[in-house]
Amino acid sequence: MRKMWLIIMREFSERARKKSFIVTTLLMPLFMVALMIAPSLVMLYGTSEQKRVVVVDRSGWVADELVSTPEVMFERSDMSKREVCSTYGEDSGVFGILYIGSEIEHPDSVQLITNESSSIMIEETITNQLSDIVNRQKLQSYGIDYRILDSLSTRVGLATFANDGTGEEASMESTSSDINYILGIVLGMLLYMIIIIYGQMVLTSVVEEKASRVIDVMVTSCTPFQIMMGKILGIALVAVTQIAIWALLVIAASNYLVPMLFSEELVATNDVMMQSIMGTIGDTGYVTMLFGCLLAFVVGGFLLYAGLYAAAGSAVDSVQEGQQYNTIIMMPIILSIIIMMTVFNDPNSPIAFWASIIPFTAPIVMIARVPFGIPTWEIVVSLLLLYISFIFVTWFAARIFRVGIFMHGKRPSWRELWRWLNLK
Amino acid sequence: MDTILKVENVSKSYTGHKALEDVSLSVPRGAVYGLLGPNGAGKTTLIRVITRITLADKGRVLLDGKVISEEDIFHIGYMPEERGLYKKMRVGEQAMFFARLKGMSKSDAEARLKGWFERLELADWWNRKVEDLSKGMAQKVQFISTVVHEPKLLIFDEPFSGFDPINADRLKQEILGLRDRGATIIFSTHNMASVEEICDHITLINKSHNILSGSVEEIRREAGGNTFNVIYASNDEQFTAATEGIASLLGESRGVVGGYREAKILIPKDEDVRSVISRLNDTCGLRSISEVIPSMNDIFIRAVNGTL
Repeated sequence: MRKMWLIIMREFSERARKKSFIVTTLLMPLFMVALMIAPSLVMLYGTSEQKRVVVVDRSGWVADELVSTPEVMFERSDMSKREVCSTYGEDSGVFGILYIGSEIEHPDSVQLITNESSSIMIEETITNQLSDIVNRQKLQSYGIDYRILDSLSTRVGLATFANDGTGEEASMESTSSDINYILGIVLGMLLYMIIIIYGQMVLTSVVEEKASRVIDVMVTSCTPFQIMMGKILGIALVAVTQIAIWALLVIAASNYLVPMLFSEELVATNDVMMQSIMGTIGDTGYVTMLFGCLLAFVVGGFLLYAGLYAAAGSAVDSVQEGQQYNTIIMMPIILSIIIMMTVFNDPNSPIAFWASIIPFTAPIVMIARVPFGIPTWEIVVSLLLLYISFIFVTWFAARIFRVGIFMHGKRPSWRELWRWLNLK
Repeated sequence: MDTILKVENVSKSYTGHKALEDVSLSVPRGAVYGLLGPNGAGKTTLIRVITRITLADKGRVLLDGKVISEEDIFHIGYMPEERGLYKKMRVGEQAMFFARLKGMSKSDAEARLKGWFERLELADWWNRKVEDLSKGMAQKVQFISTVVHEPKLLIFDEPFSGFDPINADRLKQEILGLRDRGATIIFSTHNMASVEEICDHITLINKSHNILSGSVEEIRREAGGNTFNVIYASNDEQFTAATEGIASLLGESRGVVGGYREAKILIPKDEDVRSVISRLNDTCGLRSISEVIPSMNDIFIRAVNGTL
């Protein structure tokens, strides 16, 4: 045990002290937070000053209906198109000229002639207003009051709660599929990345140790099993450290950064989605529970696959040669991602349930279901099976490892691997 | 003879190729034991069988009279030919890691390692990365890691390869020092000069067989039996005629200082050496005759060529 601990600590300290580890650990959450808040920040602060647009209206009835907005200020002109273009050139401070032909619905009848590069926002403001004006005109011609039509379009907000038997809004826990969906994807993908990246790290580490012949020195000090487990657990410790740091950063962000960054008005918005995001990130207990589950499934999932990666690494002489085995190991991981996508339509469908119980797909599928609030017993059974399978897989991997690690030369065939497995 | 390690009838085959066939040897306690043989003879396989890295198909290895176990291996010191070190680790950390894997306490390991680093002029490199070391320095680190826990049995695979003459000599002195402090040392080598200088016993392996075993002194004496170096005044025809039937000429004769000729002859065991001398004296103007003790290099070549 002492020897295995020495190997674990060596693997851990070699990786945790690398600059790349420190940089990714600290930058990744910043990157994710930036990705999340960038759209709102752009919306808040992205608007530039009001643009002046001179309108030449040949139809005679549209220009008066155009309303200036914070983005665009409309100015009517009675000059001809040519005169306007020459008067309001590049240095006039006018953004552009909106020309409306006599037949507004005719193609090319409406033109925007700009002095600087156009923007989607301004184009949208103009087309939306023009469409509304034409629609209103048409409704009037049919004798329908447009206010009737306006009152017909309705938007219903849906607040969802988990039933606790009381029926009291105040006591029931608020739930939302939208936020669960986002959390499910984020957690599932995070687990997928961790298993793949850290699993690959195990493979590379074993191959390097074998190629540099350090292994020959190591085996006169400890058993191949101790070496393999030392490597796997050392790398697992790196993964756990990384997630723990992320968890701390996210919890710190939820307590200090979110209230600071998001203005009162944004938090007080009527948008159900926005409110639930704010609520979720701000709920420290919930965030801690999620990270707890994430940690349990990351460790279990990683350990399950790490044995396979170690066995694959021991059987080959270079990382490139390991790709063939790598592809096979990755199949159930990719299958998990495909199943994960179906989870969001129905988190309790039979396929979602069974995939989150079967150990090879369980980590990714289950972690994606966790935000939807599934029964605790399912999580417990899933974890139990995952950790039991880890013991079996590791036993199997260790048998390949102890032979493969000393074999150099051509890559073993499947038959040879089977023979190694059964060697006494 | 007090034997520390015994290899009994060990055979090992890899697919389509026999690496060792029925090899036996006994290593006396406290000896420096050389495993010699041309490339591909099976030396490294034998070492890997002894260290249980490879398991023999047949035969067994005994340490102190008992079949060698995994636990025994953890107490020996083994330096493989292709030396592996973790390139990204610091030199001192690396040595500490190996020493602690051998069961040493942190303080003990550090004290002894620092001593060794001073002795082999590596002290300034303690905090440097392994990848900054030259090949020779990396070998020294490897050597220190192998011996720091003072095992009773040490196995070195080609310890001198990659060392310059000064450092090779240094290593020889250290190996002899370890022997004087009670360790038994087994090493494989092509370096015949080192065998003569430091080996007490050798085993010569060729084409997976043990073809010669014993103490260096005995082997040299036996191999040199009845080979003589003769300096004479007559011409080569007379010399050849004089030795006809009583001795055979080894190689060509050659001219030496003073206008004399020199030749190497082998006198068969059943021939009386004194009568050969007297005949040469009478017919060839014998100036001097001396027995030749062959170098290990000669013995190696003759044994491998089957002319010993």
